Amino acid sequence: MAKKRGQGIAAIIYGTGYGNGFPDVSSATVEIHDDGSATVHTGAVDCGQGSDTTLIQIAAQELGVSTENITLITGDTDSTPDAGTTAATRQTYASGNAVLRAVRVAKQKLLQYGASVLGVNTPEGLEMVKGVVSVKGYPQKQMSVAELAFQARFSGVRLLGEGTFVTHTTEVDPDTGQGAPYWPYAFGTQIVEVEVDTKTGKVDIIKAIASHDVGKAINPQNVRGQIAGAVAQGIGYALMEEVNLGEGRINNPNFSQYLLPTSMDMAEIEPLIVESDEPTGPYGAKGIGEPAMLPTAPAILNAIYDAVGIRLNSLPATPEKVLDLLVSKQE
Amino acid sequence: MAANLNLKVNGQEYQIKVDPAKRLLDVLREDLGLTGTKEGCGEGECGTCSVILNGKLVNSCLVLALQADKADILTVEGLAENGKLHPLQQAFMKEGAVQCGYCTPGMLLAAKALLDSNSSPTKEEIKLAISGNICRCTGYDQIIRAVESVVKARERN
Ligand code: FES
Ligand code: FES
Repeated sequence: MAKKRGQGIAAIIYGTGYGNGFPDVSSATVEIHDDGSATVHTGAVDCGQGSDTTLIQIAAQELGVSTENITLITGDTDSTPDAGTTAATRQTYASGNAVLRAVRVAKQKLLQYGASVLGVNTPEGLEMVKGVVSVKGYPQKQMSVAELAFQARFSGVRLLGEGTFVTHTTEVDPDTGQGAPYWPYAFGTQIVEVEVDTKTGKVDIIKAIASHDVGKAINPQNVRGQIAGAVAQGIGYALMEEVNLGEGRINNPNFSQYLLPTSMDMAEIEPLIVESDEPTGPYGAKGIGEPAMLPTAPAILNAIYDAVGIRLNSLPATPEKVLDLLVSKQE
Repeated sequence: MAANLNLKVNGQEYQIKVDPAKRLLDVLREDLGLTGTKEGCGEGECGTCSVILNGKLVNSCLVLALQADKADILTVEGLAENGKLHPLQQAFMKEGAVQCGYCTPGMLLAAKALLDSNSSPTKEEIKLAISGNICRCTGYDQIIRAVESVVKARERN
């Protein structure tokens, strides 16, 4: 007996947002300044997943300016409107939508004013691209966003927008199990190749391919990072991480006993982005935070089965457990 | 009781009085205001407090400040030169090797210590060099790729 390889696959569907009819609300405000730059206020907190970058990109895209022109102020209970928690895979979707709505309101005010200045009879006749407002079909007639914003404000028009987004869900009927408890749903599939050492029971991950539907990747590099990080957490969950409780205490409250994957435990991870376009999301986007770690553990357990024909019914798949099952399979 | 401590940090000399019970990590953060160095576990298990001390990578939470007397120390604040980011820092940005950023200062210094002693490490050597630094966000792949890209760029020159 030696080292044996196997491959496993797992697919998931995951409801994002608080769900089950629980109030799921994000708010944001935006002000366009005299120089065409804008400040966005929202309670959404970036914990490292990249919501700051994503929200800035959304505001910049909608205003037709570069990201350097957007100042984002977040997570200050004194000055930012509530945007719910950074949890439930909801900030890109819910706060992204709130920012988008707030920007649209401010932009509409600017275009309303611009229509009178540029002599079109409706703001719908204007477009705002690359820092310039121009008449559709007659682009010679144009003005920079900065100049227009400056004039607007000095004519007494304040370019403020407020946006609130509420995710629509219902409670599940406890009798029938029916309802619309989440929106939107995330989908993903992962394939993992493992190598099982039949002498020691140790499982090594060789490669993981992780394919996830994110609606639209607002920042593809961030999305790939979220997926790769989630696979790493999934590997930890599947193979090593276990909270050991005893008499109301955690017996392994440190990293030498509660093992996290290190660079030595990691495999090659290949994140794949699928863009299905979520019609209710900002530019078609939905979240990726939690769903990307869900298929990893089942895919690993299936791969172990494929390699050595044993089924683990509890996590983590430690060398001791794997070896026990291998021995009892032989007997 | 306070004791005298002489330190050179990021090229600058310091002569300070410190509580002898303080760790190097505390002196860097509290006395010198260099908060780039982070504390994760405080017991030598996570590597977020990594600094380079006399050319060697150490966990500054495990070094008593007075043990570092007369030492030459590099923290993340000393990586950039003349306002220009170190090639490792640029590569981390380019490869998306930073998410929450908490592990980043330690990762950068672990990578720097590796490249100082081995100018063309293999992928396995890079993995080993950062294996004492825990990252909970990235899955390490982008960090390893960032270091590899610096190695490749050096080999080209
Ligand atoms: S804080 Fe020093 S190793 Fe964790
Ligand atoms: S980027 Fe968050 S711990 Fe490494």
